[in-house]
Amino acid sequence: MERDLISKKELLDEKGISYGQLYRWKRKQLIPEDWFIRKSTFTGQETFFPRDLILARIDKIMNMKDDLSLDELADKLSPALPDYEMRKSDLVKRNIVSSIVLQRFASEDDDSLVYAFDKLLYFYVVDKLLQAGEMSMEEGERLLWTLREHFPKFTGKACDLVFTRKMGVSSFALLSAPSELYFESGVKVVARISMTECIEQLKGKWV
Amino acid sequence: MNRPEQGDLVINGVSTASGGQYGRVKIDGVGTVEGDIVCVDFDCNGMTKIRGSLAADTMDADGMFTIDGHLSAARSFVDGHMKVRGSLKGDSFSVNGLIRVDGNCEIESFNAEGAFEVNGLLNVGSMDVLLHGRGRAGEIGGESIRVKQKARGPLNKLFTWMMPRFAPELHVETIEGDEIDLEYTQADVVRGNRVRIGKGCAIGLVEYRTELSAHPGAKIGKEAKVGD
Repeated sequence: MERDLISKKELLDEKGISYGQLYRWKRKQLIPEDWFIRKSTFTGQETFFPRDLILARIDKIMNMKDDLSLDELADKLSPALPDYEMRKSDLVKRNIVSSIVLQRFASEDDDSLVYAFDKLLYFYVVDKLLQAGEMSMEEGERLLWTLREHFPKFTGKACDLVFTRKMGVSSFALLSAPSELYFESGVKVVARISMTECIEQLKGKWV
Repeated sequence: MNRPEQGDLVINGVSTASGGQYGRVKIDGVGTVEGDIVCVDFDCNGMTKIRGSLAADTMDADGMFTIDGHLSAARSFVDGHMKVRGSLKGDSFSVNGLIRVDGNCEIESFNAEGAFEVNGLLNVGSMDVLLHGRGRAGEIGGESIRVKQKARGPLNKLFTWMMPRFAPELHVETIEGDEIDLEYTQADVVRGNRVRIGKGCAIGLVEYRTELSAHPGAKIGKEAKVGD
């Protein structure tokens, strides 16, 4: 899975930003350190970025930087979990998690129960995969368990969720991102989701 | 910053203290702190060593100062010789003397007079350096980057001629920024918007967007205007 990369120079030209802006955003932690990929080329050392991630991020920064200060932006984009919380009944009302998921996995919780952000994130991820039709309800339960058990161990570091299937047997894995992963033949990667992106999407629902 | 009342740490003479959370830390003499330290005010004079990381709002270090871990301080003033084995982070940072950082630096406003060595990336908002000794960095990136050399007398020139290792020059692989103004700098690549290459520079490749002015004595391998 060779990632599509964009060089720093191309990026600046394409987006019309300056070196100063890029370094400033990096200082403010708007662009994660591990997106800066150093490679040697025939002109010497050059820095590359994962194309899809960085382009989306720059667009996001450019769109929001007029309304928010850079520090506020950094809060929004950081992989650390914010201390947002939400009542169970609001989850369905605001269409963040479908009612089916809540019925299935949180039927014993009271409607007025307030979930912390991490719990919401787990429901959100499960919901996302279910909605995409890639996962069954039983698998959803296992995924929820996996997330509860292992996701807190990453403590704010970026991580990916990998969902694979082989001969109908499915399994989940959480791995720190960015990392490369290769499977034996016959293994089908059903989904690879960046948890950091999910956090961002979910955070976006608060505005 | 509003924090609950915390104890102060004061060392006079030769002593060792443990890390932790403090309000004010004042070390005069030879002091060692074992472990990470978080405080509001950090002030040290003499020989100080921290076997851990330091996080402070303001830091004033005079004399020899060594940090084994990372340093993050909103405002720092350093006079003397400072060594940081980890990374350095801060809003404003002024140095008179010598500073060495093994990791990366992220500083909004960096003012230095003397010599510096950063082994990683030096990421600055604005940087104003007056070199008395050697400057070295892996990479420098930022908005405004200014490097000047302190005017030298004949005795200094003789000294430099005898010991070229201590020549007051900046050695760096790449410099990238918006406004770049250099003197006595040796770099492989300089990329910027408005670039001024001054006396005593030797640059492999200069890429600029709007403007380049070069001193007649500067050596530039290749120059290219990019983008519009």
